[in-house]
Amino acid sequence: MMSILAAKIRLFIRKPWMFVITSIICIFIAFIIGTANQDKIKVPVYSSLSKHETNELLHSLQHSDLFAFQLMNQEKVRTLVSEGKVEAGVKLKKDDFDLIVSSQTANTSLIRQYVQKVYREKKQTEKIAEHSNAPLEEVAKVVNNATANPVFTLEKKSFRGKKAIIIDSQLQPIFGFSLFFVIYTIAFNVFQILKEKREGIWDRMILSPLKKWEMYIGNLIYSFVVGYIQVALIFTVFHFGMDIDFHGRFAEMLLLLVPYVFAIVALSIFIVGLVKNEQQFNAIIPLISVSMAMIGGAYWPLEIVSSKVLLTLSKFVPVTYGMEMLKGAAIYGNSLNDLLYPISILFFMGVVLMGIGINLVERRNV
Amino acid sequence: MMLEAVELTKQFKQTKVVNGVNLYLEKGEIVGLLGPNGAGKSTTISMISTLIPPTSGDVRLNNKSVIKEPSKLRKVLGVVPQEIALYSDLSAKENLQFFGRIHRLSGARLQKKVDEILEQIGLTDRQNDLVKHFSGGMKRRLNIGVALLHEPEFIIMDEPTVGIDPQSRNYILETVKRLNEEKQMTVLYTSHYMEEVEFLCDRIYIMDKGSIIASGTKEEIKNILSSENTVEMKVEKVQEPFIDALRLQPVVNHVTVQDRVITILAPKEINVFRLLFKLAEETNTVFTSVEIKTPTLEDVFLHLTGRALRD
Repeated sequence: MMSILAAKIRLFIRKPWMFVITSIICIFIAFIIGTANQDKIKVPVYSSLSKHETNELLHSLQHSDLFAFQLMNQEKVRTLVSEGKVEAGVKLKKDDFDLIVSSQTANTSLIRQYVQKVYREKKQTEKIAEHSNAPLEEVAKVVNNATANPVFTLEKKSFRGKKAIIIDSQLQPIFGFSLFFVIYTIAFNVFQILKEKREGIWDRMILSPLKKWEMYIGNLIYSFVVGYIQVALIFTVFHFGMDIDFHGRFAEMLLLLVPYVFAIVALSIFIVGLVKNEQQFNAIIPLISVSMAMIGGAYWPLEIVSSKVLLTLSKFVPVTYGMEMLKGAAIYGNSLNDLLYPISILFFMGVVLMGIGINLVERRNV
Repeated sequence: MMLEAVELTKQFKQTKVVNGVNLYLEKGEIVGLLGPNGAGKSTTISMISTLIPPTSGDVRLNNKSVIKEPSKLRKVLGVVPQEIALYSDLSAKENLQFFGRIHRLSGARLQKKVDEILEQIGLTDRQNDLVKHFSGGMKRRLNIGVALLHEPEFIIMDEPTVGIDPQSRNYILETVKRLNEEKQMTVLYTSHYMEEVEFLCDRIYIMDKGSIIASGTKEEIKNILSSENTVEMKVEKVQEPFIDALRLQPVVNHVTVQDRVITILAPKEINVFRLLFKLAEETNTVFTSVEIKTPTLEDVFLHLTGRALRD
């Protein structure tokens, strides 16, 4: 088995292009879609305060996920607003601010609310510092810490008891496209079994002291490892290279990939057992992977799908459970206990499909 | 040591691809299995090498069945498949190392064996080149080399010279002969090239449509035609009426036409020359030469099956 793995690794080093290209495409598409959804609303700002006070206020304003505040001179801000290039501008003052608008839009009230909130928090911190005679920085630190770790947590639920829907426009494409592209990587590696059977290499192995299970395990472990490394690599690039926040659960993400990658390896051997030749395989793989990605919520969140037919179909697709696991952990903050359902389904799918798949491959007379 | 196939039969759905084949191999001999494409040679050797189970019949090593316990045979058997069963993106040396490892060779023993095989198949200088850059002949040589790694006592070669140039073919034939002479390796050699089998083999089995139709030493097989002559006529232009007329003659057995050479089989006791010249005159056929030849294995095959080996 180790000799099979060693040979496969050597072959991978000789021809890594399929792996590299699918990884790059995946990162590129996830990045484009993620950042396209992530564009912040530009809000120009000018100030009548000192440079130090302005910078402090601006720093507080920059914490918004929705708005990007940019310091400019008064004239430029007014021009941008009057020409309609921005929805609103802000004049920063000591205890208050002016909102400069040319017309009321949905976003102008959001901007007003946000800036008001920042001023309120600033004022609150100043008042505490004034009454406690503590340095302002120290108070700010304590307040921030208290906000991050509240004594009480309020959880909002609807009357039907369902969890609130959260759509993370950055993580959705990263998870979706990684789980989608890895299907190709794994399937094309598993397909090598059929190719080697046709080329007679498999027969040479059968005639050697190698056991059949070693031949299958060697090939399938290799496909699993390559697939796993690809998704892990994509996540790593986004996490460390592009500073994407996995909500502190990056390590869990890597662990949760195991059942999904296992299920896809099993699905691939099942498909390899069904097809007769390379042409059929090349035709069937895009069909299956694209439809699974659409049904399973890799392209768009399953939360926005209302069709009962599609939702029922999604129950039979590994991508659904892969997305459920990853989003459950990263976005909804689910515990391992909550994730046991998709994990078990993926392992179940894996075991069943692998059993049938190996049986089909064995029966097929190449 | 003896390997034998007893009443081997393989049926796929309603078609019997191999029907009751009996053959044996004794230590140190080269046995040819001759037959046209589709005769059932590859299926027969797949069954003998335990790759596919027979529908009925048995494969025995030293009189013990190996169908249920194939590992005993596999230890002493090397198979050279018709396909190039190699990793094209690995070098010759890496391929040998991989297949050596799966035969449980390792360390210095593996290295020594790999070097020895590379020497035997004449690829020492090209050992680090990727197989995909090899010529057809070099790939075929390496294909043989891989089957020799575990020093088998029996080697089954399924058309090992298909699609290669004459020089490479000679090299392979010489290699097979040398293996047999120096290492006492027993060889079952399948081919549809008569001259290869004539050059290599001590005994021959002729197979057609799934059955063995003749067997014996070269001489014994050629003696099947002891009562007939092969007459080879070269003509300026092949005239269809002449061919039709030949086929209608009761004394003429089997007529084959290849380019401008017409070959017939006719009883030795009958002088067919007069008849041939008469028919040629009637059909405006001009001979450039007419020759009586000693029967070859090809002629025997023609006699037995009514068609040429490479039809």
